[in-house]
Amino acid sequence: MAKRLIVVGAGVTGLMTAKFLVDRGFSDILVIDRKYPGSGGSFRCATGVRASFTSREHIKVMLRAIDLWPKLSKELGIKYSRDGYLWLLSRDRDVEFFREAVKFQNSLGVPTRLVTPEEVRELAPTINASSVVAAVYDPIAGKASCFDSVTNTLTHLLARGVEVKWGVEARKIAREGRGFVVETNIGSLRADSVLVAAGDGSRRLLETLGVDLPIRSLPKHALVTEAFRPVFKPLIIDWATSSYIVQLFNGNFYIGADIPEVYDTVAKVKLEFLRKAARVWTSYFPWLREVYVLRYWTGYYDMTPDHHPVIGPVEGLEGVYVAAGFSGHGFMMAPAVGEALASYILGERPLVPEFERLSPGRFARGELIKEIAVFG
Amino acid sequence: MLDAKKVIVCRCEDVTLYDVEKAIDEGLTDLELLKRKLRIGMGPCQGSGCLLLVASVLARKKRTPVSEVPLPVSRPPITPVQLKFFAGGKSG
Ligand SMILES: Cc1cc2nc3c(=O)[nH]c(=O)nc-3n(C[C@H](O)[C@H](O)[C@H](O)COP(=O)(O)OP(=O)(O)OC[C@H]3O[C@@H](n4cnc5c(N)ncnc54)[C@H](O)[C@@H]3O)c2cc1C
Repeated sequence: MAKRLIVVGAGVTGLMTAKFLVDRGFSDILVIDRKYPGSGGSFRCATGVRASFTSREHIKVMLRAIDLWPKLSKELGIKYSRDGYLWLLSRDRDVEFFREAVKFQNSLGVPTRLVTPEEVRELAPTINASSVVAAVYDPIAGKASCFDSVTNTLTHLLARGVEVKWGVEARKIAREGRGFVVETNIGSLRADSVLVAAGDGSRRLLETLGVDLPIRSLPKHALVTEAFRPVFKPLIIDWATSSYIVQLFNGNFYIGADIPEVYDTVAKVKLEFLRKAARVWTSYFPWLREVYVLRYWTGYYDMTPDHHPVIGPVEGLEGVYVAAGFSGHGFMMAPAVGEALASYILGERPLVPEFERLSPGRFARGELIKEIAVFG
Repeated sequence: MLDAKKVIVCRCEDVTLYDVEKAIDEGLTDLELLKRKLRIGMGPCQGSGCLLLVASVLARKKRTPVSEVPLPVSRPPITPVQLKFFAGGKSG
């Protein structure tokens, strides 16, 4: 029996889309995942949520997501808080750059502001801010539990009759009559339409339909420490070294740091990452030296040439939708992306018109978007 | 009868047998999902005390042998390491 929709990928994007659809009465959905729900980027991410970007598209999409997060938090019991983002700047040229970024963000309604090292000490108690010349504070940014976002959305879907199967890998998608057939390790699955929300597996799967999207995987590294009582609230970024630290809801410190990596290679554990993460953050927070690292893992950023995701119906292939290439920001925008994809699938235009600028066809048309605030 | 609300399966995170069975009944029929929902295996013991226990509850509920329940991957380091070990230099 053909389904109305097959969603390939049970990450936060696929699950949120299914949620917005069932909540609007669209049923008969099957979600599949080659491993298990959340196993891609969704369970690995730093859980940061912010609208302080440098492109209109990212800002508008994220302002919608920031409207939706508290609602989802209440409805699904996802931990979420607006604890802010703090960008530490140690070079004068960075301050000049951020002065412009803040002006742009303010013009679109994002209340970021430049702050002094004294304010940094208030916002991040115990910090050694001796190398900081200024910082940018974003009070409406924050964090949401990525674990709750996946598990609670999943149980919400299961309770409403959505079928979710894992250990099922999509290997090929082909047109069949008016619908599609998805070839998998458990046989052929049929549906009227297909959403590819398969993270770093999206490109290869779409190629089987003759769709080529310029998405490349970049290995990324992260660690968590043992848990403590709340020490500081914001997610803190060291702009000069492209690293960040955030204290998660459970009290663990999560650290990410950028080290040289090669696109489309297998992510491997590297001592170099641990060295950099430790060096940068123990100099800001000397007490961290005594803190134990519990776990270290890798993951991928699915990068596009303009660092913006690819979202929407695939032009020329009616019934195929894509949401991939999030370039390190797919967790924070998932509520807005899920809402927009649900609109597309229901034959409507998305609420936030900027989504239409993220269409898969923009690469062929040469309509790339500029976004520079990517880090970690 | 044992009171499932009083049987602790994960001491690091204070998770009871009742919590585990409820999550499985809601459809979280995978140790990887139970780990994220309940934080089993994410405390300082890194699962050495609880994961096999939870695996056996899951096996009983799914009516499969325990040997067929996939275990979560272990992340390095095997035992916790202090950050100063990687930072080098002197304290302060
Ligand atoms: C270290 C790190 C830190 C990050 N920090 C942040 C952050 O702070 N904020 C933020 O917003 N984002 C962050 N991100 C990015 C974020 O994790 C991703 O953008 C987001 O999780 C994407 O969700 P998704 O559902 O689109 O993809 P994924 O979560 O990757 O889900 C895709 C799913 O598809 C499945 N799949 C793939 N191929 C197939 C196939 N052929 N058949 C069936 N299933 C398939 C996979 O198993 C996977 O479960 C971070 C990423 C990393 C790696």
